[in-house]
Amino acid sequence: MDDNFLESLENIVGSDGIVRDSVELSTYESDGLAKLREKPGVAVLPKTSSEVQEIVCLCSTHKIPFVARGQGTGLSGGALPLSDGVLIVMTRLNRVLDVDIPNQRITVEPGVMNLDVTKTVAADGCYYAPDPSSQVICSIGGNVAENSGGAHCLKYGFTVHHVLGVEAVMPNGEMIRLGGKALDNPGLDLLGVLVGSEGTLAIVTKVILKLLRKPESVRTLLAAFDTTEAAGNAVSGIIAAGIIPAAVEMMDRLTIQAAEAAVHPNFPDAEAILIVEIDGADADVQVLFEQVEKVCSSSGAREIQIAETDEQRARFWLGRKAAFAAMGRVSPSYYVQDGVIPRTKLPEVLGRIRALENESGLKIGNVFHAGDGNLHPLVCYDERIDGQADLAQHVASQILTFCLDVGGSITGEHGVGADKADQMPKMFSESDLDTMQRVRCAFDPEHLCNPGKVFPTPRLCGEVPGPYRAHPLEVAGLADRM
Amino acid sequence: MEKSLESSESLLAEIIEHAGKDVGRLSTVEDSIDGQQPRIVLEPASVETVSIILAWASARALTVCVRGGGTKLAWGDVLSSVDVLLSTKRLNKSVDHRHGDLTATVDTGVTLAKLNAALGLNDQWLPLDSPWADRATVGGLVSTNDSGPSRHYHGAPRDLIIGCSIVLSNGQMAKSGGIVVKNVAGYDLGRLLTGSFGSLAVMTSATFKLAPRATHSCTVSVALPSWDVIPSVVSRFTLSPLTPTAFELEWPAGVLYVTFKSVKSSVQQQADIAEQLISDLAPVNKVEGIEETQLWEKYTRQWDKPGTLVKLSTVPSALFDSLSWLRSACKAHDIEIFIGGRVALGVVDIRLCGSVESQALVINQFRKRFQNGDGSAVLRRADTALRNKVDPWGHIEALSVMKLVKDQFDPDKRLNPGRGPGGI
Repeated sequence: MDDNFLESLENIVGSDGIVRDSVELSTYESDGLAKLREKPGVAVLPKTSSEVQEIVCLCSTHKIPFVARGQGTGLSGGALPLSDGVLIVMTRLNRVLDVDIPNQRITVEPGVMNLDVTKTVAADGCYYAPDPSSQVICSIGGNVAENSGGAHCLKYGFTVHHVLGVEAVMPNGEMIRLGGKALDNPGLDLLGVLVGSEGTLAIVTKVILKLLRKPESVRTLLAAFDTTEAAGNAVSGIIAAGIIPAAVEMMDRLTIQAAEAAVHPNFPDAEAILIVEIDGADADVQVLFEQVEKVCSSSGAREIQIAETDEQRARFWLGRKAAFAAMGRVSPSYYVQDGVIPRTKLPEVLGRIRALENESGLKIGNVFHAGDGNLHPLVCYDERIDGQADLAQHVASQILTFCLDVGGSITGEHGVGADKADQMPKMFSESDLDTMQRVRCAFDPEHLCNPGKVFPTPRLCGEVPGPYRAHPLEVAGLADRM
Repeated sequence: MEKSLESSESLLAEIIEHAGKDVGRLSTVEDSIDGQQPRIVLEPASVETVSIILAWASARALTVCVRGGGTKLAWGDVLSSVDVLLSTKRLNKSVDHRHGDLTATVDTGVTLAKLNAALGLNDQWLPLDSPWADRATVGGLVSTNDSGPSRHYHGAPRDLIIGCSIVLSNGQMAKSGGIVVKNVAGYDLGRLLTGSFGSLAVMTSATFKLAPRATHSCTVSVALPSWDVIPSVVSRFTLSPLTPTAFELEWPAGVLYVTFKSVKSSVQQQADIAEQLISDLAPVNKVEGIEETQLWEKYTRQWDKPGTLVKLSTVPSALFDSLSWLRSACKAHDIEIFIGGRVALGVVDIRLCGSVESQALVINQFRKRFQNGDGSAVLRRADTALRNKVDPWGHIEALSVMKLVKDQFDPDKRLNPGRGPGGI
């Protein structure tokens, strides 16, 4: 990387805000998806939005690509650096800028941790709803990039439903504002497409979030089943009864055992457990919770534990949220998959996963957001055994195919990133991907902002109005190229 | 390419040759939009035919205006040109209701009433209760991001859409999202098109997450003794643990409506608590069943009356002051004002009746109160004369980026030209 360019970068962020040493840069060579590694050409740690803007302007002038990184907890390689690019580490932009309890709004910099938002406003009876399992260590900027969900998004929606406005730096260095503290703002919903664009459209430097008031009542139960099918039937029964719980989570035997070994939540010995949480006004919760209990019983639950205290509830959630990390207790390595299916296809897809397990010889744990069909199969393998890592990847890929076969998605919350860009053509046609990339071309015609992520092949932005492939008129023999 | 100079008859004959004889007709004066009569009216019955029409129109350099149920043709900016009126009325065949998954995929020409009648067979609904549901199509609702009282709890179309199929102005067909509620694969074109006033592409089908239909419902209402009590009354509810599904203020009727939908015992308990919260103000009215349906039908009909419709959106704490200023200004300029909306969200609809000059003056003054995304006043339905005097949208942040998006999707400005946000 050119010395003059590096010197200019250092002038922006100061000597303590730039990392050039090869060993130190190893810190940033991967995000939560450790199998993909690349050392950045240089890493910078700006402290203000102006510094971010200056860095991006410099990159734009020199046509040097850049990648924004939050806490690096992403699981799809969305923050995978570029060896010839700049990694912009956003962790120092970590101030809470404005707390507006009467309007239930909070304005934060992107480096603020997800859980810290709730901690900031908890004393005022408010909280921030999206709660990814990594909420203790993941930052809001990353949540915005990935449109993060969490266990409670079944009822409360995803990050996109809770971000009201952002300040962002465009890839050409222009600072823009989208949305604001008011619910509606005139104009195209660029905010709606920016959230979840995996850092490929702009770098967010300020975020206005919507806060919710803590519900009057929360009740949580844990139901144990002899089969995953029975647990799946209970989920269908709850939804069919017209109940939208705050969360419905399922774990199978292998993930229960792993959680038990790691954090001792004292889960029952079962083939599957469901954790169901109902919240809202007292009057609602009492009745709906009883209905959920009945549905679980009639679906064959052989044990139902009800959290009588906040501590018990926390124990349930500790076991569930620790499930990924806990797999290390039962397997030397594991591959976390993230796929989505229509909820009603749960028994069919779980059956296919079981068959795949038997066929491949690899154990597959299942932990998922059952309420919205978001599966997280954990494919266990031992990388010391020749070929197992490749086999695990193949098995994980097969599971995505199962999801797509029933009309699902290749990712529910971890994102496409670098990991699944090559899977996108399985879900979307060339025309679909081309159309999406028109947005990319509007924001980033030079492809400098996190290139190589989300899309398997970049669209050449000079192609407006777009490739004119075999058109229905032509196919039908009704017209020649006009 | 040069603008087509052929007669309307020969244009119609040409597209009939490509898309079939029942694809459309010559226009009549009743088809006019913003005083402009289109040359032909096309009514495709399939996405493939939409694609054929748009590719043909693009090649012939014709502008295309999309019409659903025609309930919002006077919304948005004044159309700069319309050669082809593309009606979605025949894109109304399919409602694919996956009730076990609480989702549905629907052709965009289906009306909201027809959709919800179909979904109601399995006790579910698309939780939008916009006015004119018997005529307003799903496509029009998405295109304008319009909603009604239930937005208080369920959100607007942009909160409910999870996938879509679209056709670009050059005929290219594409989709985004899918049929599952949770999905972060690729860019969310559904949200991008929601509220775009048909300026980017034609949406031919949309997939939504749905809500279960509650078994019971009750609306609690109270006549407010004065304008000044509004903030404190709203606070009583927003600070309470109650979870109403609608929370509407109607003025000058001076009535607050609070609806609860859930299981019977919960509805009764919450309605009782609500009554206690406001019983000091005036006698509280509680209605259920047919009476409740009639109440909301009557409330919704106020938007049928003539006048300009303005959507005000601001931070909830600033709403009362904003509305107070507006009422005073309207009084000073002899403008009648009617207010109805989601006061706890800071989003209300306003109907104004008065001279064009007065309305223009007041709206422009009103907008000066807002900055940095803390509020806006957007003209929805308005006479062409007013829309020619007042920018329907007001200030739009990042408009330059929106224009770049428009350039990518519709580079020759064929689709609803001039009508979308900021005149895109």
